[in-house]
Amino acid sequence: MIEFQNVSFAFENNKEVLRNLSFKIEKGESVGLIGANGAGKSTLMKLIVGLLTGEGKITIDGIEVSRKKLYEIRGKIGFVLQNSDDQMFMPTVLEDMMFAPLNYGLSRGEAEKKVDEVLARLNISEYKDKYNHKISGGEKRMAAIATILAMDPEIILMDEPTSALDPYNRRIVINTIKELNQTKLIASHDLDMILDTCDRVILLSKGEIIADGPVREILSNKELLEANRMELPLSLT
Amino acid sequence: MNKMQKALRELSEMDELSARTSPIHSLHPAAKFLTTIAYIMVVLSFDKYDLNGLFPMILWPIVLFQVSGTNVRSCFYKLRIVLPLVMAVGLFNPFFDKEIMVRIGGVAISGGVISMITLMLKGVYCLMASFLLMATTKIDNLCAALRKLHIPSMIVSLLLLTYRYVGVMTEELAVMTDAYHLRAPNQKGIHVSAWGSFLGQLLLRSMDKAQEIYSAMLLRGYHEHFHYSENRRFNAHDAIFLAIAVTIFVILRLYNLTEVLGGLVVR
Amino acid sequence: MHMADALLAPAVAATMYVASGTGAGFSINKLRKDDEPQKLPVMAVTSALVFAGQMINYTIPGTGSSGHMCGGMLLSALLGPQAGFLSMIVILAIQCLFFADGGLMALGANVWNMAFYGCFIGYYLIWRPFMRSKIFGDNRNGQRWRIILASIIGCVVTLQMGAFSVVLETSISGITELPFGAFVALMQPIHLAIGLVEGLITSAVLIFVYETRSELLQDVNVSENDKKGSLKSVIVTLGVAALVIGGGLSLFASSNPDGLEWALFGNAEEGYAENMGLDEDNFGIESSVAEKAGAIQETTSFLPDYAFPDSEAAVGTTVSGIVGSAIVAGVAVLICFAGGFFRKKKKAEA
Repeated sequence: MIEFQNVSFAFENNKEVLRNLSFKIEKGESVGLIGANGAGKSTLMKLIVGLLTGEGKITIDGIEVSRKKLYEIRGKIGFVLQNSDDQMFMPTVLEDMMFAPLNYGLSRGEAEKKVDEVLARLNISEYKDKYNHKISGGEKRMAAIATILAMDPEIILMDEPTSALDPYNRRIVINTIKELNQTKLIASHDLDMILDTCDRVILLSKGEIIADGPVREILSNKELLEANRMELPLSLT
Repeated sequence: MNKMQKALRELSEMDELSARTSPIHSLHPAAKFLTTIAYIMVVLSFDKYDLNGLFPMILWPIVLFQVSGTNVRSCFYKLRIVLPLVMAVGLFNPFFDKEIMVRIGGVAISGGVISMITLMLKGVYCLMASFLLMATTKIDNLCAALRKLHIPSMIVSLLLLTYRYVGVMTEELAVMTDAYHLRAPNQKGIHVSAWGSFLGQLLLRSMDKAQEIYSAMLLRGYHEHFHYSENRRFNAHDAIFLAIAVTIFVILRLYNLTEVLGGLVVR
Repeated sequence: MHMADALLAPAVAATMYVASGTGAGFSINKLRKDDEPQKLPVMAVTSALVFAGQMINYTIPGTGSSGHMCGGMLLSALLGPQAGFLSMIVILAIQCLFFADGGLMALGANVWNMAFYGCFIGYYLIWRPFMRSKIFGDNRNGQRWRIILASIIGCVVTLQMGAFSVVLETSISGITELPFGAFVALMQPIHLAIGLVEGLITSAVLIFVYETRSELLQDVNVSENDKKGSLKSVIVTLGVAALVIGGGLSLFASSNPDGLEWALFGNAEEGYAENMGLDEDNFGIESSVAEKAGAIQETTSFLPDYAFPDSEAAVGTTVSGIVGSAIVAGVAVLICFAGGFFRKKKKAEA
């Protein structure tokens, strides 16, 4: 589904962020992306959706990421940004959720049907007519996930989906993620959540992949985690 | 509560009002918008001495307040901005225009006093009209209507996006203001040494925020413009509402209702 | 300086709409041609920021009163005149729609008075010429002084134009009986003071942006050939300038009762100005008005008692007018009762 071949990325000031990455994520896989601050997690995600362009080759579902294919590729990918306020730029939840379906050619009626469907699936139908600036942080996160699902993506990228949530809302979000059967790539420092939701983990350090394997194997490796400024997940201590 | 928090509360009050349901709420926004414009235009067109003729125009907003079940209090709260300004200008009239126009009992009233009261009434009426529009119409529906009325999409999209982030930014500044005053308890405002950095810091952060928002838009297929499609069409009800409203305004403008009613009683 | 609907005749309101609409059309065309889609969210976030930023109280050194920022100059320095103009339109529209600051029909006039001058005149005649000149030297320090001076002159000049337009529009509308000359004499000095303070605040924000991310400013050369100079000296100078201007103004205010603005700033704090903080100018007028009115009142009687000519007929219309008004008022009360009755009934049913 997602394939990186010798991908590197550097900012204009020549600061190299990613160095010669190669990996492959199969359809239906759930992959956790972990690493210290500044390891390159966000950059990697932005490369997938073409918000940044680096060197090397990235293919999504067999299509190479290039300027011309962005519209098509972005239609396949839902990206849940870390800050839901940035993600939800329309005044109401409904308008926000319809934004992508309308852009991808659905009629208003079809789009609204899609919205109702997604909201019902996530058990948050009561959010529909709410104002984005009036819902709480937890509600906003769920609504942000809903706006992505309204696109019917084949791949879901998530940047810190559980940050700044209370335990109750965090649990709701985790359960929601578990039920999504799309291909998922989740970047986070919340290793317990990764353990709950993913079956494979990629560990980035200073722009390079230093570990890639089954989630239990990597997340129980105390030395490896501590060398990368992380701690064992609570449930594995 | 600081100024920003008050503004936020006012904003959320309008949101709550517009989210209710009533026969007025369910009218097409374009019909309400046009009616409001017509009402304000007619009110403004009354002669400055035509207090009698202007007075009955109050019936329209009163009917709307009642039918939409909107609380008048929050409307009058907003008067604190309009009235002082209007009065500031109108207060001169009694001193410069002293010709006697009417005499009630033993009291003579000059043209200046009449024109001052007329001006104040106009201020109150216009405020009520636009308040009612916003209290019964959600911003996204209003924007769709504005698009339908051929307001350029760039302005409408900007209005929609700005409205969304007015709340976010105001909240950020409210927190920053509180944080500032917690560490500078004796200062009434921002000290000159922080004039630039206080807003400047937030400005820099907003630029990054704008970049993120643009990414979010692109990722969901944004392409040149927003799609505005109304959740319902302009139907016969809306047309009838608009027609009746405008007819009433025109009749009230052409015929002095108070004089007519008074004439029936006083022969 | 937000005008209310009631202060304009329909013809004047419409004319101003056409004028501002032309400006908006021109701006939209220019922005479409530039084709920078990423500018839309930048404009939105910056507008929201300026909207909120107008509520900040800035203490004016030496006076104990506070000033505010307006935004026209700031926006055009950051976004360019066209994008700045559209952003101001949206800010004014939100203020008028949600906060009753200004008015739906007065929006055209308000956009013209507050956005057109600040963005277009301020940018093309003041900001850009300053940024392109070599005055104060071709280095970072010179650049700082150019930014400060352009901000102050820009705010003062454009605010003067705006204030004059307010007088002009109100007078042409036939709303006030105040002689044109007196109105001008009242408005301009007050706005001179406000403009100076606004200019200082704007320049402080722009200098901060220049020091941190100068590429965000329009027409400012980003050259790294000059290492970071004496920012501190600039800030100190700015502070001293604020102190001098503030102090001078308060002296001016106390020696000249007509320009009482500064003394009144403090009072406005507790009152209606609290909410938006934008309208010190208006309240200033009001207060000066009160002052002037008081003075006039002493020399003239409020209601001169000369005989009323043709009293028969006039009294006749008055009586029917009063009776008619009473009936209208009665109907209004009835509508209110009816509304209350129906709502109660509905509640009982539900």
